[in-house]
Amino acid sequence: MIPVIHFLNYLLPVLYLTTFSAYFYDFMKGEKKFINIKRLFLFLTLLIHLVYLLLRTFEFHHPPITNVFEIFTVLAFAITFSYFLLELITDIRGTGPFIIIISFVFQFISTLFIPDQLAVKEVLRNNLLGIHVITALLGYSGFTISAVYSFLYLTLYKDLKHNRFGLIFNRLPNLEVLEKLSFYSAVIGFVLLTIAIIIGIIWLPSAFPDISYLDPKLIGTGLVWLLYGAGILSNLIVHWKGKKLIVLSITGFVIAILSTIISNFLAQSFHSFY
Amino acid sequence: MNLLAVSINHRTAPVELREALHLTEEEIRQIIQLAKDELLQEGFIISTCNRTEIYGIPKEFQLPYSRLHSFILGHKKPVNASEENFQNFLSRESLKHLFGVASGIDSMLIGDNQILKQVKDSFLIAEEMGFAGFMMKRVFDAAIRVGKRAISETAISEGAVTVSYAAVQLIEKIFSNLSKKTALVIGAGETGEIAAKHLRDKNIRKLTITNRTKERADKLAAKLNADSFPFDELNQHLNKFDIIISATSSENILISKEDVESAIKKRNYNSMVLMDIAIPRDIDPSTSKIDYVFYNDIDSLNIIVEQNLSKRKAEIPKVEKIIEEELDNFFAWYNSLQAAPTIKSLRDHFESIRAEEVEKNINKFSSEDKEKLEIITKRIVNKILHHPTIELRKTNDAGTGAEEAATKMGIIRNLFGIDKPGSNNEDKK
Repeated sequence: MIPVIHFLNYLLPVLYLTTFSAYFYDFMKGEKKFINIKRLFLFLTLLIHLVYLLLRTFEFHHPPITNVFEIFTVLAFAITFSYFLLELITDIRGTGPFIIIISFVFQFISTLFIPDQLAVKEVLRNNLLGIHVITALLGYSGFTISAVYSFLYLTLYKDLKHNRFGLIFNRLPNLEVLEKLSFYSAVIGFVLLTIAIIIGIIWLPSAFPDISYLDPKLIGTGLVWLLYGAGILSNLIVHWKGKKLIVLSITGFVIAILSTIISNFLAQSFHSFY
Repeated sequence: MNLLAVSINHRTAPVELREALHLTEEEIRQIIQLAKDELLQEGFIISTCNRTEIYGIPKEFQLPYSRLHSFILGHKKPVNASEENFQNFLSRESLKHLFGVASGIDSMLIGDNQILKQVKDSFLIAEEMGFAGFMMKRVFDAAIRVGKRAISETAISEGAVTVSYAAVQLIEKIFSNLSKKTALVIGAGETGEIAAKHLRDKNIRKLTITNRTKERADKLAAKLNADSFPFDELNQHLNKFDIIISATSSENILISKEDVESAIKKRNYNSMVLMDIAIPRDIDPSTSKIDYVFYNDIDSLNIIVEQNLSKRKAEIPKVEKIIEEELDNFFAWYNSLQAAPTIKSLRDHFESIRAEEVEKNINKFSSEDKEKLEIITKRIVNKILHHPTIELRKTNDAGTGAEEAATKMGIIRNLFGIDKPGSNNEDKK
């Protein structure tokens, strides 16, 4: 089984890169040459990635969430899967390269450094933890996608303001659509993160009786959750729209990234298992 | 194939000459009647603001182009036109030119798809006048096919190539659904009207017109099922519109930066699109600095127009390929009109009908009669086809015009439905 896992580990970045290339080619050329093939490639990549994750889970007797490079491969999968669903629902295919490249980067780093880890802490074998991590990762992929659409919104906004009618103008969907995509991805991310937080709160006292609620990871996540919650509420109640909401989404994403870096690599957090 | 074409168009003649030679539908009908009497067996005439063209199969085998030139010129008031103002085509070149026209690559505005409708209308007039015979119908079908293929298989008609349409294209990059938006058009002149029509075509939720002369605004509003308000109330209403297109001939700025700042505040910073397609400009260009305000003037819209025109030009080789394919198809069909293949097709067609009927009814006959049935039915078919076969063979003889032969063979093929899908002959293939 291990050789198959190793083979898939090296195959995945190649698949992501190929899928990205097909999306990128169509984006640059404005042709619809790969319009159906690229979606098929995306689907196959996801399928193979799912097989890879399942094989790892069975072979190493734990879900692939026990170290940062396992998290990266799950994140790559979650981002691509979320995008795939979004593309199926909206049939907007022009934004694919901007999202698939992120999955490629995560997968590439994971492929290089992922260990074949059999022995993990007992706490990491808990089922509730598995659901907590998966929902949190899906939530963060929602925020990542929201941030990508926000970034594209800002780029198109600037191009329109400065009368630049290049690739971005010609290929991207309109500002309102980008805003909606960003908003709905953020809402989905927020809901999933809320579930992750609730599960975390239920599971935390039993796993770590002496936990401090001033843990940098908890504070960071709380901040991200509050920020997205405030953004969603402001849209629903005071009808905040456009750039303000977009800037909020990007800020939330940056804080989420910083919080992950700080809690995993710099600060001493109970979240640093590895 | 003796198809002649002469054309005066935007490449060969200045606008004054094209205008002078433009034919109304009534004039086209008159000229067709005369052409039928004097010069052409069949044909059709296309006349638009950018071209006047006559296509046809001459009665005399070698009809000089100059006769067609003077024929066109003779029916309009005297104009200064020389031989250089005409393009002349024969056979494949005539057809190629027509295909180029129908596909929009010969248009002044490359990819203009209105021309396809104009070609259709021209043919309908010819058909009504009994000027479009068997050959012209095939020519017309092929031309329309080229036009449709050019639109569906290439991007020759994609993208806005007029300033007012570019404004709408740009608006659609900001708003996703115009049926939820409100728009104001300032100025009820020609440009304003075109812009308003584009917005109406895009199902804008609410369209409002304002103009210095209120009557003109009311008239246009009534025409486009829109609202209007007096021009001096412009500033009070600015905040109510998501889209404002200004196209007046005013010498002064009508909407200042302060006006827009006040309007966007009242709109709770919901995006506002300002399209200034007037020269000189109606809206202060510094409004572009206000957040959530998208301001464009005629120069920026022209950038889009130029880009789209370049893209359309890049599609010309693809359209030319379609034209070549359709020319080959047409001449493959035309060459099939030679007598021998037609005789064979005709005989095959009848034989297949005979065989089918015999097969259906064979069981109604005794075994000794079955052979007789075969012989008798074959004899009937041979007798029926004897005279048509002789007549068709004669068309190969010297002295029979190629067009006459083609017409005869075309009539036979048409009458018996030999080329139609589902015909007995076709089924057999």
